Amino acid sequence: MSATGPEPAELVVTVDRARCAGTGLCAASAPADLQVGPDGKAHPRHERSTALAAVVEAAELCPMEAIAVHHATTGELLAPQW
Amino acid sequence: MTLDHSDTQAAEPLMPLHCAQALPAGPPILTTLRTGTPVWLVRRHADVRQVLTDPRLNRASLFAPDAPAVTPYPNLLDDPEALLNLDGPEHQRLRRTVQRAFTPRAIARWRPWVASVVEDLLNQLTDAEHPVDLVAAFTRPLPVAVICRLMGLDNLDLKRLAYWSDHALATSAYTPQQVQEAMQDFGAFGAALVAKRRAEPGDDLISSLVQAADQDGSMTEYQLVMLTIGLVVGGHETTMTSLGNALVYLLGEGRDSWALLAGSEEQAGIAAEQLLRAVPLGDREVLPGQLRRAVADVEIGGVLIPAGSVVAADTFGANHDEGVYGPDWRADLFEPPSTPHLTFGAGPHHCLGAWLARMELELALHRLARRLPGLRLTVDPAAIEWRRGLLTRSPLTLPAAW
Repeated sequence: MSATGPEPAELVVTVDRARCAGTGLCAASAPADLQVGPDGKAHPRHERSTALAAVVEAAELCPMEAIAVHHATTGELLAPQW
Repeated sequence: MTLDHSDTQAAEPLMPLHCAQALPAGPPILTTLRTGTPVWLVRRHADVRQVLTDPRLNRASLFAPDAPAVTPYPNLLDDPEALLNLDGPEHQRLRRTVQRAFTPRAIARWRPWVASVVEDLLNQLTDAEHPVDLVAAFTRPLPVAVICRLMGLDNLDLKRLAYWSDHALATSAYTPQQVQEAMQDFGAFGAALVAKRRAEPGDDLISSLVQAADQDGSMTEYQLVMLTIGLVVGGHETTMTSLGNALVYLLGEGRDSWALLAGSEEQAGIAAEQLLRAVPLGDREVLPGQLRRAVADVEIGGVLIPAGSVVAADTFGANHDEGVYGPDWRADLFEPPSTPHLTFGAGPHHCLGAWLARMELELALHRLARRLPGLRLTVDPAAIEWRRGLLTRSPLTLPAAW
């Protein structure tokens, strides 16, 4: 976040709990944004994130494709990309 | 090289695995493994899922200095440096190096190619003399071709591959020394393969694994070799087993479903999912479930499991838990499972190849049924010869005609 660059985009991270197999790979990729709860399923830690690289990595790596990252204002799907 | 059956030919006929009955689900019970080690057998769906996802239960502690013996039959799964037996951040780093190749999207890109392999095998099969052995002609070569292509193993000696995979998951079929020799040979192959792909990288899975591992820098060469040979075996043995056992059901007791499999890939995919849920990979006598060890006191299904206990997560029992699924899976063969099944596990060690296996089963069942609507076994199901003395059980041969 430099003083001259644009503000990082606000992101919404969602977890499809029916698909989640609780592998925890997302929490390893983006520990600030995702955690595995006591129910053995992943949960977003915050309503919004700006850590684009980390949450995209989490969504791209999820073995169940249970995680999606959307742009908070445009609604564009940023990850996973087919 | 095939299994030595000299000590088992006279054995009683074995029931097809789709006939296996799960005990009614209930709270964890204390029983014993073959080694005499006490084990908590966990059978309810929610409890099994907890065992597999709760970090207080792990794999690495099964190999700690104070760990009790869990199997009299050491094999590839018992190497402490195998991906399956690592936990926590070390496991995550290693898994990340290969995970990208196995996401649903990555696997979907292989679909046209896998379909073409199925078609090639069907062309050869339909030209052959009756009866045809479906194991030699279809259930084994399909997953072998797929993993060879993924890993860039074009000139692999298939007899040597069969030798490794027969020993890798052996229980009583071979002596521990035979298994050890086979795994040393397999390990030497893996080490040479890793070295070759490091020197001459291609666009295959091993090359990308070696590159990712070398960039990461935290994993040992031995871990990399173990992961490589684990992928070779894991990439075909269980798929061959699932497909063979599915055909035992579908061409026998479940023959009425054959025409429906031919209807659409989607229908076949749903049936494949139910068969994955319902039909176990083996007899579970040596391993009653996926083993974990408690590193802290943990309550499971209302029972306190003390730290240090060995726990078996019975995914077969969980997949038949009547609180979750209907009483007879046969009646639901073309209905998607109401709740995700646990055949591929859950948690950090969830099967890497789950989507590849699903795709292979779906394409294989659909296209075989479409091409050969009159396919039937020419062997009485009670007289099927089985691969015995392994953790998995599947038909050794499956003679069929149409």
